Amino acid sequence: MLVFAASDKGGTGRSVTSANLAYHRALDGDDVCYLDFDFGSPTAAAVFDLPDVLSEAEGRGLHSYLKGKTGEPLRVDVWSRTEHPQLRSRPGGSGRLVLLPGDRTGGEFVTDDENLHRCVDLVLRLKREFDVIIVDLSAGRSYAMDLALAATSPRGGLGRLKTRWLVYHRWTRQHVMAAAELVYGKQGIVQAGIAMGHEADALSAAIRFVRAAVPNLESPLWSQVSPAQYAWMRQCDTQLEEIAAGRGIGKTRVLSSIPLEPVLQWQERLITDEDVHDRRIANVETWQKMGELAQRLTDDKYWGQL
Amino acid sequence: MGAPGKTTDAVLACGEVRTCLLPTREAVDQQVAERLLRLRADEPVRVSKRPNRYAVSPDVLTGVDCRLPTANGSKVRAVGTVTSRAALVEGRVLQATAYFSAPAGGPDRRRPWGYYLVRPGVLVPIGKVSPRAVAEGFLTRHHQDELDVGSIAEGQLSRISRLLADSFDPPLTTTDTRVRWAASPASDGDEPPLRFTVAEDGLRTLDLRLPPGTAPAAAAALCEDLALHDWLLTTVVDKLDGLRLGSADGKAALKVLRPLVDHLLHLWLPKARVERPLEALWDALEQEPGFSRQWETQVRRVRDQLLLQAILTQREALGASLTTS
Repeated sequence: MLVFAASDKGGTGRSVTSANLAYHRALDGDDVCYLDFDFGSPTAAAVFDLPDVLSEAEGRGLHSYLKGKTGEPLRVDVWSRTEHPQLRSRPGGSGRLVLLPGDRTGGEFVTDDENLHRCVDLVLRLKREFDVIIVDLSAGRSYAMDLALAATSPRGGLGRLKTRWLVYHRWTRQHVMAAAELVYGKQGIVQAGIAMGHEADALSAAIRFVRAAVPNLESPLWSQVSPAQYAWMRQCDTQLEEIAAGRGIGKTRVLSSIPLEPVLQWQERLITDEDVHDRRIANVETWQKMGELAQRLTDDKYWGQL
Repeated sequence: MGAPGKTTDAVLACGEVRTCLLPTREAVDQQVAERLLRLRADEPVRVSKRPNRYAVSPDVLTGVDCRLPTANGSKVRAVGTVTSRAALVEGRVLQATAYFSAPAGGPDRRRPWGYYLVRPGVLVPIGKVSPRAVAEGFLTRHHQDELDVGSIAEGQLSRISRLLADSFDPPLTTTDTRVRWAASPASDGDEPPLRFTVAEDGLRTLDLRLPPGTAPAAAAALCEDLALHDWLLTTVVDKLDGLRLGSADGKAALKVLRPLVDHLLHLWLPKARVERPLEALWDALEQEPGFSRQWETQVRRVRDQLLLQAILTQREALGASLTTS
């Protein structure tokens, strides 16, 4: 399965949640690879705790590959290379977890046919080797997104692959409206996809939203707020739900809501079982919701036309 | 390859073999194999059925003019053509090879293309080279601005993958392997005929000493055969490593084991297409590290696991019928 992770704005938790998603799928036994297409600000190496990879990827990363400067994009085996103490021993029964990093100095570039062919060849090759391919796109309507839409269009070469889109947004009015605009707006994913030959219904059936950093008002985190604050937040939450529903990104189109996680506010990282149960620094709900997102990603019940 | 000394004779052959599972649900029949491997209109795909089903594309030449990798960092420019081809074993495993041979020296200036085209598959250096330095550089170094035969081989795999884009549905995920090889003529010294190294990320290197006079194509065929078996072994070992042993869920184990039986276990057939004088090299690998020995052990493990699953399933069924009756 090919999964594109998109968001309208930066800071939506797109990269960190997608990396955790990749981690959970690998724990469940899938062979997973993670492609950092965030041209301009590749962050995945940091989330997987691979400090040396940024410099190693210089001239050998995904940008260099797409531009034809290297025949082979760098691959990094996360289990064996990570500095994260709890990830270094690969759990029994887990699948491979491989990062294809971007170049630090890559930046955005205009896509042409050459890039497209290289992108298609790479994905077909990875499809032989991996069960799940997660592509982290830059924020907004980027060239990376155009490349993804072109490659997966019926004419693009990847049209027959099972493809899913995850659109991340935070739970605020601005973020909700921006996410809806990114998908359904005039310049949005659906319209851009149609222009490239996608069928509108099929494309929107393959798009789901992931709400990130959602405050759960019933969690202990908010137990100290005053009744007035609580009532106000409750009201905001209801209003947001209405706005989301009005813009076509209501609950039925949400694949998962990841709760606000203090650990992720401090550090973009993978949340491990140990963080939750032994060190008790992360909330168990976060772990469960990440797992739920990973399960639902491949569960057809949560996909398709509504 | 001739003995070193004469500048016109090849003293070195180098290449890379890439091996992967053909990404279709089932193995393909001969007709489809021929369609996939038809790289040229003027030459047919060669097919054989004994001792196993095998189809190989006609050779394709790719013109190159670039620096050769050298172990000592000396700058050597070479011009000529690289031979590449793709092959399908039992309609199931896809291999692409790109290789060249090179003499120890060539003209001091670049000649017109005609000069190089009458020497298909030969890279002629400009000036003199140390064959050993090139062989070692080829096996160990990889720089962006130097010859990359691996990407020529990968180009063949990509082309075939694109043809299959509509029926892309591999029954199991497997890691592609790359075997980079360099062959020099054996001298009277007591060097081992073959050095096989497993590096990370699917890369293997193979340093060969072949009987003088061995054709580069025969060396390439030997390397393809080694690459195929190394890939089979790697794939089965990886899958068994990832197996959750003793897990209550037998279905999960079966999901891993069944594709191995369906698609891979019957493909082990060493030396199927290796010329007789080169068989000794295979035998060296059988001694150390012992390819077939390890394979037999893995195959037994697969069968034992399957047997165990069958017993457990039967017992569960029996238990269920006892509780219901």
